[in-house]
Amino acid sequence: MAVTASRPTARKRPADAPGGRPARRRGRIQWKGYLYALPALTVLTVFLLVPLGQLVQISLFHWDGVSASTWAGFANYTEIARDPQLRAGFLHSLVLIFFFSVLPIGLALLLAAITTRASRLRGVSVFRALIFLPQVVAMVVTATAWTAIYAPDGVLNTALRAIGLDAVARPWLGDFTTALPSVGLIGTWLEIGLCLVLFIAGIGQIPGELYEAAKLDGAGAVREFLAVTLPGLRGQITVALTLTVIAALKTFDLVYVATHGGPGNATSLPAFEVYNRAFGTGQVGSACAIAVVLTVVILLITFLITKLQPEEDGT
Amino acid sequence: MISARERALNYVVLTVFAALALVPLIGVVASALTPAAQASPTFTWPHHLDLGNFATAWRQGHFAAYLGSSVLVAVSVVVLTAVLAVLAGFSFALFDYPGRSLLFYVTLVGLMVPPEAFVIPLYFNLRDAGLTDSYWALILPQTAQSLAFGVFWMRNFFRSVPVSIIEAARLDGATDWRLLWRILVPTSRPALLTMAMLVFMWTWNEFLLPLVMITDENKRTAPLGLAFFQSEHTTQYSLLAAASIIVALPVVALYVFLQRHFISGMLSGAVKA
Amino acid sequence: MTERTRGRSARRTVAAAALATGLLTAVAACSPGPGGNASAGATRTAGPVSTDVAKAGKVTLTEWDQNTDPGTDASTEALNKAFMAKYPNVTIKRVSRSFSDLKTTLKLALSSSNPPDVVQANQGYPDMGAFVKAGLLQPVDSYAKVYGWDTAFPSQLLDLNRFSTDGKTWKSGSLFGVSQTGEIVGIYYDKAKLKSLGLAAPTTLAGFETALAKAKSSGLQPISYGDADKSPGIHIFGVVQAATAGKAEVRKLVFDEGGAKWTDPGSLKAATTLRGWADKGYLGSGFNGESKDQAVADFAAGKSLFLVDGTWQAAVLEPKMKTNVGFTALSPAAGQPPLTQGGEGLAWAMTSKSEHPDVAAAYIDFLVNSNGMKVLADHGNLPALPQADYRPAAGTVDADILAQWKAVSEKDGLLPYLDYTTPTFYDTLTAAVQELTAGQLTPQAFGAQLQSDYARFQQGS
Repeated sequence: MAVTASRPTARKRPADAPGGRPARRRGRIQWKGYLYALPALTVLTVFLLVPLGQLVQISLFHWDGVSASTWAGFANYTEIARDPQLRAGFLHSLVLIFFFSVLPIGLALLLAAITTRASRLRGVSVFRALIFLPQVVAMVVTATAWTAIYAPDGVLNTALRAIGLDAVARPWLGDFTTALPSVGLIGTWLEIGLCLVLFIAGIGQIPGELYEAAKLDGAGAVREFLAVTLPGLRGQITVALTLTVIAALKTFDLVYVATHGGPGNATSLPAFEVYNRAFGTGQVGSACAIAVVLTVVILLITFLITKLQPEEDGT
Repeated sequence: MISARERALNYVVLTVFAALALVPLIGVVASALTPAAQASPTFTWPHHLDLGNFATAWRQGHFAAYLGSSVLVAVSVVVLTAVLAVLAGFSFALFDYPGRSLLFYVTLVGLMVPPEAFVIPLYFNLRDAGLTDSYWALILPQTAQSLAFGVFWMRNFFRSVPVSIIEAARLDGATDWRLLWRILVPTSRPALLTMAMLVFMWTWNEFLLPLVMITDENKRTAPLGLAFFQSEHTTQYSLLAAASIIVALPVVALYVFLQRHFISGMLSGAVKA
Repeated sequence: MTERTRGRSARRTVAAAALATGLLTAVAACSPGPGGNASAGATRTAGPVSTDVAKAGKVTLTEWDQNTDPGTDASTEALNKAFMAKYPNVTIKRVSRSFSDLKTTLKLALSSSNPPDVVQANQGYPDMGAFVKAGLLQPVDSYAKVYGWDTAFPSQLLDLNRFSTDGKTWKSGSLFGVSQTGEIVGIYYDKAKLKSLGLAAPTTLAGFETALAKAKSSGLQPISYGDADKSPGIHIFGVVQAATAGKAEVRKLVFDEGGAKWTDPGSLKAATTLRGWADKGYLGSGFNGESKDQAVADFAAGKSLFLVDGTWQAAVLEPKMKTNVGFTALSPAAGQPPLTQGGEGLAWAMTSKSEHPDVAAAYIDFLVNSNGMKVLADHGNLPALPQADYRPAAGTVDADILAQWKAVSEKDGLLPYLDYTTPTFYDTLTAAVQELTAGQLTPQAFGAQLQSDYARFQQGS
């Protein structure tokens, strides 16, 4: 979160632009700089960057993790395209993006439009803290709580039966049609707080005069939202999109605890397949290929999302 | 001026969403306090409060060991990240040398790759080095992951320190080292605290890395313990709820005490813009 | 919020990522690729074995089991305590996981630098075969001789725990463990309910189906079934398949003896039958979202007539249902001996890296010797080697189970669990059964799905 909120700092101060002149004005090379950066760069290289390179390498081999590997070329990648179960995994991710990202952002925008003045209300910080709470609870805990809610005799079904909707009651996580949306709705629950807090904060920064001006122009609520609120929140929307889309794509613990990918493979996801193939069924090469594709997809989507936002400074 | 109607509407919306966020969590609390005999997946309101579930879950689930591991790992990651991020952030913010931007962007790569991407090679590397099943296997990779954020965060903060302060220190003849620890770090206490909290939370809640790296019962972390506890006690809802609370509580408590700081830290960047 | 993954200045970072990865890959490409693990296949040279645990000095023995059911949990605790009392120099560290968690984590545990000493390994290619191939387990042949396991256990049971040392051929070669529990999958029935329907305990698939139909028409839930954990699907399909396909075909399939396909009529009929049960509501509704523990609890609470499950559930059911629960196994046709999957529980095996193989072996022997079998039985479990004096009281479910176990094992009626078939078959089969019963797959497509996994395995081996 902190990053997200600090984002404008980096963007709006041209002097901060990387490559721009740092605060010091001496023209010569300050070799000591390397020294200060060295420890962090070493840890990053050894534990993150090198494994990332190896990931690509292993993905080109057939390997069961124990015996000798054999060259596979791109076979592990073509398998992803061919294997219907793996393809389905990526499709499930798309569905989750809707629930983790599109739905909460849409809802939060709507709410933000209604509560344009919320940031100035008394006690708003308490609300903000509460709404944001799901974000700090471990995913395993969230999954455990929601598994009980969705259970055949769980809260949800009990409530439905109590109001006479017995026909609707079902084992939400065990039904082929509802399992994936049910997992998705947990994501909606998780992310809506994040979006709402972001947007309320963002609206608080939109100069009040803009709203006054819109009122003077006789703009209704809808016009005001489209002309003032939405453009004012562009930065926050980009941030929310990035965070929630990545959260959807890398969902693992939720599915590990709540469904184990079931029923059938209805909630199998790339991240889950990566784990299962690498450490369960001994298909390490294939697992790495999936991980590579997943990473590329994440980088690409992040890239596309930032494209939405116009360059407005010297970066 | 905010009209009374608008104010009321705002409160209603906020209340509804606060309730939505809270209801599942309150359900867990109620369920944990329900005597085991009365327990059902429905969050029944307990006839009488029963703290026995916590004791049972604590004992059966070995949570003493799990929480110990979690604290050790999370604190280590926070400290290591803080020190390394301060040094690197200092370098990227205030030094001028070839490749500085490139190196900075390379650290940012870590912000975007999910753990799923590097956990497989990392596992085999650490196993060959005999490091799996040790706390190092959790501390070092998670420090690397946190550094991507930490370096970015500290660099931005150091850049926001007014040039005049730095110039003044230089005129007084302060060395780089002294400038960093005597002037920059003390002024960045709020930023450091925010970073520490976030890193603590990420590390505490991490699931995949401990799942892969740790098999020794005594070194497992709390979320992992909960996942295993869950599949052994699928129908004992009171116990599960109690265990869930044990796992979530440390971070939630920290959040309750520091949320003002946390959220204001998070908003300060935006305000300064 | 758990993500450290942030999108920042993405364009530059993507470029940097591409550059960094490119560089690293270029470097990595020079190396020969992920080569074989040096330790793979390396087995400890068989030195003289010792049975003297007291002389081993101070030892901490770590064991991993899946005995989370009350019966086996209690007997494991009791035996561990007794072992430590007998040998004060040994401390046993027990790690107990549910079957599915053990399945997902055991491979990691075994390949870690400090693996447990003794583990319960599932038979067949997915687990034991993979572990042997990786050199993670050590052969126990010399201990089997010393402790007499090779003569105490019938060869049928021993063979399930045998593998060639390259892990490629199952059921022959070295012995990699011995099992403590005997187990078969069968049908638990509620005696009072069965009587009220005017039925006797079914002995054939046809008789079972008649009872199911009768229960359904009289408004009684025929079977308590919960498949959210995925493994129960293997059992219920296996019970039907044993009857429709016969033992020769099932063995050919699972042991990969050639000449059989998962699309053959016998297996297809089993799929059609199981699908029919689901469609007719015999399995209840929402079974794919219900845990197996819940299904067992429902049956124990008198909510259904039957429960299709393994003998390991007796210790859960007996305290709740007393003598009202019975157990039966099905025969393909009247007059034939019963035929069902099962045999023995997970094998107790020793890891290659264990520093105390002699103590580990002594511990395993302590679990499976006559006293071990007795303690096991005392806690309501079926021992792999029932002692001559083990005679549960007539009318109890334990007596039923012992009788059925004898009938099945003495008449060569034990069939292997189906998930042993290929390294990926557990995942394939459990997902396919969920899809079949939920109406997502036709019986034909179900067979095709299993066969495609099978064919891939056969090509590869």
